[in-house]
Amino acid sequence: MSSIVKGDPILEIADLAVEVQGRRILDGVNLAVRAGEVHAIMGPNGAGKSTLSQLLAGRSGYEVKRGTVRYLGEDLLALPAEERARRGLFLGFQYPVEIPGVNNVYLLKAALNAQRRQHGLPEVDAFDFLGLVRDKMRLMQMDESFLSRGVNEGFSGGEKKRNEILQMLVLEPTLAILDETDSGLDIDALKVVASGVNSLRRDDRAVVLVTHYQRLLDHVVPDRVHVLVGGRILKSGDRNLALELERRGYDWVRHEASAA
Amino acid sequence: MSAVAHSLPALAGLGAAQAGLPGGPRWDERRRAALERLVTLGLPTPRDEAWKYTNLRLLERRDLAPAPPRPLPVGALGALPQHAGPMLVFVDGRFHPALSSTTLPAGVGFTPLPTLLAGELPAALEARLGADDSLDERLRLLNAVLLGEGALLTVAAGRATDPPLYLVHVATGGGAYPRLVISIEAGAAARLVEYHLTLGEADSVAVPVTDLVLGAGARLEHYSVGLGGPRAIQLEDVTVRLDRDAAYHHLQVALGAQLARLDLRVRLEGRGSGARLAGLFVADRTRQLDIRTRIEHLAAHTSSDQVYRGVANDRGRGSYDGMVIVHPGAIKTDSRQSSRNLLLGPHASIDARPQLEIKADDVKCSHGATTGALDEQMLFYLLSRGLDRDTARALLTFAFAEDVIAKLGVPELRRFVEERVLGSLPAAQLIREFIR
Repeated sequence: MSSIVKGDPILEIADLAVEVQGRRILDGVNLAVRAGEVHAIMGPNGAGKSTLSQLLAGRSGYEVKRGTVRYLGEDLLALPAEERARRGLFLGFQYPVEIPGVNNVYLLKAALNAQRRQHGLPEVDAFDFLGLVRDKMRLMQMDESFLSRGVNEGFSGGEKKRNEILQMLVLEPTLAILDETDSGLDIDALKVVASGVNSLRRDDRAVVLVTHYQRLLDHVVPDRVHVLVGGRILKSGDRNLALELERRGYDWVRHEASAA
Repeated sequence: MSAVAHSLPALAGLGAAQAGLPGGPRWDERRRAALERLVTLGLPTPRDEAWKYTNLRLLERRDLAPAPPRPLPVGALGALPQHAGPMLVFVDGRFHPALSSTTLPAGVGFTPLPTLLAGELPAALEARLGADDSLDERLRLLNAVLLGEGALLTVAAGRATDPPLYLVHVATGGGAYPRLVISIEAGAAARLVEYHLTLGEADSVAVPVTDLVLGAGARLEHYSVGLGGPRAIQLEDVTVRLDRDAAYHHLQVALGAQLARLDLRVRLEGRGSGARLAGLFVADRTRQLDIRTRIEHLAAHTSSDQVYRGVANDRGRGSYDGMVIVHPGAIKTDSRQSSRNLLLGPHASIDARPQLEIKADDVKCSHGATTGALDEQMLFYLLSRGLDRDTARALLTFAFAEDVIAKLGVPELRRFVEERVLGSLPAAQLIREFIR
């Protein structure tokens, strides 16, 4: 349903500055993500990682002071959250909210249909849909009971993260932003989540992994690694940068940047 | 009476309205005494603690006299869901035999109140028909002023009735003051479903009083659905007494009326008895929907659980005023109170006041109340999955109400209420898919 080819610009952030309740959180972020790429954004707590993720997905309460964000060539910030989702942008939440009374699978079906409508496609056949969800659930090693439960209702931390990846696999986004999807996972769950992310990798899609630790990057190998500190990307490199951060922490990046 | 009646035009005409009520001189005299007492006390105002949230000013411009007998148009009950159980219909409080089932399950006794009042009554029953004239029970007093219609319903000891018994109350305009006296005898089990309807946009005032007694080990599931019209006022008083190990479930859904209030008093008198109470109101347009509960733990090992949910939209108003009293000696009491309320518009309002009064040791009591708008995090989550804003809001609103709807233990009733609640929300069709 798209004519995107490897190397096409998916996300272009230029000089983005954002305030939350008068406090500057992002202060001149530049980032370009192309089709076929996996990027990792790393940084200490409070660096602005979650703000960036949520802002891109369309959460309200952020004040953009300057800069632009383009998604598939369009002004992303001008689109409401639901419109971004329908155009193939997906956020995997750091803390997926529990919504008792709203069925997990029907939410997924409504989400898929919203996207299909956007592309002028008919609603998904109920039988085909269930087959698709079951396939993806097997990949995520999720129990049948997930089908009948409320959205994230009573899920453990690990189950919630798997559910996010399940949604991502069903929706097949053009741009997936995964906000600390690896946090709180044991090593087995981490591998399951990683294989889910890897199965999404394709030449016409892009993934942005926002993470604190590099351990997810052992399993999902990024093309680019960026270090976000104090609301700015201070350094970018290949996957070796992640290993260096793991070894040396974040302070040296800050010192290096202020020395420059 | 003149000085007080001056401020109570609504009560002034009631003396004349008493003429010709069932029961003869003995009951005439009681009704007169009740009126005298009511005129002295006056109708409650928001200055009364128990009436802080319910303004009865609307009553001042209403004719409170009991409605005259009127034929019910064909199809008047058409809005009700198909159901399997026997049905007893009351029109403006009067039992209506022609619309009611002629046979009742074995063990179920039924006597219309006029028949009862015409004869000699056992002392205990006579006492239950009396008025309690304490200050915060003035609605019972108003009911006593015009006592005459209603019924006695009994389920004999050890009997279990299934399917449920349906009581349908129809208001056609004017006043209705039914008194229901219900006894579920020792070891009996029953389910009771009450519907409150209004004929079209009739101006009606109903003040039903229900007096329930559950014998030792008896069980009653009691469901009540309020579907009153835009000019309907309903002020309902339900009092329940429970003997040892009796279990009472009450679930009220209030979806209609201009003003509807339920006063629910539960006395847990027998050791091991328990009450599970739940309610949902949806106060849209300019409705005012109030619920007030008074749960008294009077014996050891008693339990009470309250789950109340309120939704207000437009200029709707609502309130939950709940009180749990644990009396001395009621050790091992287990009590929970939860009131959660959802405001969908800037002009809607809901007051919630859960209260506890504990006079015994070794008890477990909890209470909590919240009132607010839809959860922003939930809303954003749904938007981030591509749902449009109206659908997301409606879905969350329905999910909130579903908390209580899911407790409706009669499937056709649950589906009926779900459809009613859905009908008031946008994107009903999509939400229907979510709940199937």
